[in-house]
Amino acid sequence: MGSINQLSLKEAVALIKDGDCLAFSGFTIWRRPTAMCYEILRQGIKNLHLFEVQGGFHSEVLVGGGAVKLWEGSWMGQEILGKTGVNLSRKQVAGEVIVDDLSHGHAVARAMAGAVNVPFFPTALAMGTDILNPEYDGFANAGLRDGKNPKIPKEKYVTYKDPFYDMGEMLLMPSIRPNWGLIYAPMVGSEGTVRVLAQSYNDQDIIKACDKVIVITEEIVPDEYLRRDPAANIATGYEIDYVVVCPWAAHPTGSQFYYDTDADFLRSFNAGTKKQEGFDKFAEEWIYGVNDHWEYLEKLGVKRLETLRASQATGYSSRVKRGTR
Amino acid sequence: MTEYAKVGEFKPMDLLAAAAAREVIDGDVVFAGTGLPMLAIALAQNEHAPNAACIYEAGSIDGRPIDLPTSVGDARCAYQAAKCGGLFETFYGQLHAGYVTLGFLGGAEIDKYGSLNTTYVGTHANPKQRFTGSGGNADILSFAQRTVLIMVQEKRRFSERLEYVTSPGWMVRNWPKNEYVPKKDVYGKYCYGGPTACITDMAIFRFDEKGIMYLDTVHPGFSAADVKNNVDFDLDISKCKGETKPPTYKQLEILYKVVDPEGIFLP
Repeated sequence: MGSINQLSLKEAVALIKDGDCLAFSGFTIWRRPTAMCYEILRQGIKNLHLFEVQGGFHSEVLVGGGAVKLWEGSWMGQEILGKTGVNLSRKQVAGEVIVDDLSHGHAVARAMAGAVNVPFFPTALAMGTDILNPEYDGFANAGLRDGKNPKIPKEKYVTYKDPFYDMGEMLLMPSIRPNWGLIYAPMVGSEGTVRVLAQSYNDQDIIKACDKVIVITEEIVPDEYLRRDPAANIATGYEIDYVVVCPWAAHPTGSQFYYDTDADFLRSFNAGTKKQEGFDKFAEEWIYGVNDHWEYLEKLGVKRLETLRASQATGYSSRVKRGTR
Repeated sequence: MTEYAKVGEFKPMDLLAAAAAREVIDGDVVFAGTGLPMLAIALAQNEHAPNAACIYEAGSIDGRPIDLPTSVGDARCAYQAAKCGGLFETFYGQLHAGYVTLGFLGGAEIDKYGSLNTTYVGTHANPKQRFTGSGGNADILSFAQRTVLIMVQEKRRFSERLEYVTSPGWMVRNWPKNEYVPKKDVYGKYCYGGPTACITDMAIFRFDEKGIMYLDTVHPGFSAADVKNNVDFDLDISKCKGETKPPTYKQLEILYKVVDPEGIFLP
């Protein structure tokens, strides 16, 4: 029988140190550990290195709040709710965040290599692009590929000629092994088994790739319940380290079968935080101006949360007005 | 007998959705992104391509959404999917494995070989603004057998030289050697195809045997000269076949009653 190491939100986030490398669960505006990201800002943790297959609201918050020094990933934005990541754009243009660009395929390869503990993963995706232009290697240009930081590979990639079947030249993408995986999952079992209720994104690879894993969850359920359908689980209890219980922990991102994405919240965040003053106002209202996550939920209000609540039949809300009709 | 709607009976977005849907062949395995591609694949599946399967990069494979998704990670994409995994499945298990026959992509800037920029305005060293970055754009354009590019027609977006090449068209750089070469020279046996059409708010373009973009049809209300004036490179208009076909009444009915009754992308 396994067991879980349960912490409060504050205790869990206090384990993260200045300069650590973080990776996250979820995809764009879905299943992001946003309550943990808010708490990172409240605790004043700085100089973080984010490895992201792709970013979203959670990392726009960390970047806008000045917690991030290095960002590598393939994409940043809120999909149709805000087409570009305005905070990363502002901070990169100002030289405050060092950015290195990947494609989805490259980032997925790096996470998979980290997950299975091999130093690199081969791929032929996205060759011939400026993502591979040595002059545009953001981390090399900042002198960060000198081997001193164990979370930054000495080369962004190498090309390698297939010696087995003459498939030609392809890329070897280095693994990534972040210090912390911050994972949102709707359900964690009493022995730590992790369940998500839709697309698994890169969650299981990120869990395995990271040195330590904190899972923030809506609820702890009997492990016996999750073991009735083992194929639906994405991690065992021994693959994760800490569990935090926090209802609506992914808001305003969505969690299938629990709640829909809060489109109004994301749209207004994206429109309102193009300038630093706008971000600061947002953060004062929603992050620093509330004492804890319960106060954040009270501020959102019952009507808003009940509108977002997902149908147990389809996994998404039928109450949200999405279009003009 | 196919009945086409008359000018004034459809909106520009309806024409784009119909034109994009016509690019889908029955049986295609389509890798689609958020927005217009979702309308196009849903319209095609409800009309002439019931056997087309749709992959959304977040992990849903051949879903049967009953409500239009607004995000590729949406629970709506996964409804009734044949299977559901993550990005390793979609980018490696599907795309790298060679199953994807058709991709739909957009970009901020395009060149005559169909390469796209979705990453920067300004130079990399001195960007004026950052866009989203690649996401799956570079991967899909590199590996799908055919890709349809959806663009806004503006001179500054149809560039002689891209400020940043996010995604590979028919001519690419063979890093780290930095020579400008045909895509096949870099991808070798992994060269399954490339960009085959570009649809804008003014016209439809295709690519010749050298991988160079040419004007195929102009939308009702526009001339070949209008299009040429909104392209920064020297555009071949000699093969223009005339006007783009409007949506049919049947397509409009499917779009507004079945695909997007909520008015998400079709207000």
